[in-house]
Amino acid sequence: MLSSLPEKFRAHGLKADLRTLLLLRKAMQKGLIKTLGDIYNVLKGIIVKEPADIGPFTKAYYEYFLHVPIAPGQTLQDAILRSETFAQWKTQFLDEADRDFTDEELVNTFLDQVHLTSYDIKEVISGKEIWDKDNPDQVDSDPEDNDSEPTERVLDKMADYSDLSLEELLERMEKVRQQQKTQHGGGSHWIGTGGISPYGHGGAAKNGVRVGGQGGGKMARKVMGDKNYFPIDRDALLNDNNVDAALASIKGVIEESATEKLDVPQTIKSGLKRGGLFIPEMSSEKNEELKVIVLIDNGGYSMAPYVRSVQNLFRKMKTRFAHDLEVYYFHNTVYDRVFTDERRTKSISIEKLLMHNKSYRVFMIGDAAMAPYELNSLSIHNLKAIAHKFKKCVWLNPEPLRYWPHTYTIQVMKQLIPMFPLTPAGIERAVRAMNAKSTEG
Amino acid sequence: MAETTHWTGSARYLCDPALAQAFHMARSLGMPLLIEGEPGTGKTDLPIHYAKDRGLDLEVYPVGSKSNIEQFVARFDHVKYLRDSQIEILNAQREEKGLSSKLTTGDRNPESLADYVVKGPAAIAYSKPHSVLLIDEIDKAPREFPNDLLYALSHRKFIMPESGEVIEISEEEMPAIVITSNREQELPTAFKGRCIYHYIDFPDKEVMGKIIEKHHPGLDEQVVRVALDVFYHLRRLGLERAPTTREILNWLKYMGDIAPKEAVKKIEGLEGIGALIKTQADMERINRMIGADNAAFGSLN
Repeated sequence: MLSSLPEKFRAHGLKADLRTLLLLRKAMQKGLIKTLGDIYNVLKGIIVKEPADIGPFTKAYYEYFLHVPIAPGQTLQDAILRSETFAQWKTQFLDEADRDFTDEELVNTFLDQVHLTSYDIKEVISGKEIWDKDNPDQVDSDPEDNDSEPTERVLDKMADYSDLSLEELLERMEKVRQQQKTQHGGGSHWIGTGGISPYGHGGAAKNGVRVGGQGGGKMARKVMGDKNYFPIDRDALLNDNNVDAALASIKGVIEESATEKLDVPQTIKSGLKRGGLFIPEMSSEKNEELKVIVLIDNGGYSMAPYVRSVQNLFRKMKTRFAHDLEVYYFHNTVYDRVFTDERRTKSISIEKLLMHNKSYRVFMIGDAAMAPYELNSLSIHNLKAIAHKFKKCVWLNPEPLRYWPHTYTIQVMKQLIPMFPLTPAGIERAVRAMNAKSTEG
Repeated sequence: MAETTHWTGSARYLCDPALAQAFHMARSLGMPLLIEGEPGTGKTDLPIHYAKDRGLDLEVYPVGSKSNIEQFVARFDHVKYLRDSQIEILNAQREEKGLSSKLTTGDRNPESLADYVVKGPAAIAYSKPHSVLLIDEIDKAPREFPNDLLYALSHRKFIMPESGEVIEISEEEMPAIVITSNREQELPTAFKGRCIYHYIDFPDKEVMGKIIEKHHPGLDEQVVRVALDVFYHLRRLGLERAPTTREILNWLKYMGDIAPKEAVKKIEGLEGIGALIKTQADMERINRMIGADNAAFGSLN
């Protein structure tokens, strides 16, 4: 029963596992799942763990539960219109409909039905309290109030499946899935009158009760076109869009903890002063403050596109967590000075840079591409000195990884300072490498 | 499972249906609801208004950079305990010397350890049936806090330090737990796995109008409309710190005291825009835009 769900959802980069299924089951037992729309909502709460998951999740849901594959860049409407599921549904729907519909209307109705939740139904029949009654047959057999009969009829139809155990419901869904797999579009029974989800269609509409989703469909549609709901390509070069993803990676550099600890010497000292009355003295322990030196290669055209993003990243970093952040500039490689301003007019000597506490983390950012003669012995000597002094030192390179082997100076530089690509994923690896160093020594 | 009827907002709080459903789901499953979203989308207000509306007890734990699990659950006040037990000795010594004045321990008794247990919000919430527990801004916490919290929350049982008192609650009566985060720090995956997650979208114009209506009921329609135009225009500019619900509410609070016609004029003239713009760089940018393209800004409505 739905055992393939975790695997299918994982294929979309989502975190789904056995626990997802167990939670889903629990939700069924608690009566949270009565319609297909409920499954969407509940699974969303369980699986989605950040806004960027919503896009892939919606995609996975449509693919898994509705057999509507959504190609990258395709809109939801387009995907639905092209799908077999929709074609089946449409035939059934139009059979019963008394007028023609435009594609847009059809898709909207389809979405409304797919995303119809039991909350929506509850709203429609609010005040009737029938929904929560254990036995829908009771209502059926004993209509006390004649005036409300139409509504109850609707409900009757709606409630048809509500006391079907949800396990059974899902089992049936799975069966339909299997059938579809083997018979190739042998007919979708997922939604619509013939299927397992009787809500919304037919009965409800005929009786003039509008059963429309509360916008679940609208949301799904919006999600498809919105890049906020899709994960950022973590291997794309740093730009203004993924700067926040990079920032998230860089957060790993702070390992700050604030625990209260018994300060034994202080307790003894003050206890003796009080004549043997020892009162525990607590001291708060702050592990490590984040101190960062950023060295940016801002010379030459090759670096120009990245300087702004890099500055943006570290500026954001400063406002959020860095206690101490210093930025210096260089051109191509470091000789005996680094510059304190972007135009490289004011500078400090390498000796001065090396006087910083060794707990500073050093990020060097540059393409490390230059004429071989530029990387002379003086430069190599100084780079070595920096790497030696600051154990947590990395080089972030915006040059695509595949070009690295072909650039001689990159090869040399890599030997001197650990080098990582200037992408969110690369930054994360760089930070991890830095942290590994900190535990060693 | 906490109190499990479906709650859809109150007179003062407009609850997005999706959020209401997620909240209902979390309570039904007995899991904490983790809410993320931009500042000013009403994350913290949800449990506050829910508790108020339903007449439930609310316990709030504002998370800070020094939060630890002892503060949240319960800690044993060693200092007071030591002081009180020392006082007994001190009093005995004084008596020997013939001094009549005595130091008091209040009504705490060093014999009973429970007197020295300082209960945190979690212990208090778990000792009352159907309460609401808000853990605010968990992203401010030190890294290990969420995982410690997870352990505490996954068992419906706390054992008080030293005194050994057990606080336990049934699944039916456990508190509704709401955790909010501003995404300033990525939360551990395991932690998120144990929560029902909901991301609050920034309200669109229509919803924002309703929110304003709830907060400033008497406001002139025209004023609100113009203000919303300006507000969403500013948000679209991609400012460093985009204005949020809180800011527009404050801005309108100020405008509310002025006659509608004048207020419209003031809003169009972007007066008091400092209420919306929070950084120097953004302000400069706005000023530059007004200077360069005054007409475009004036023709907003």
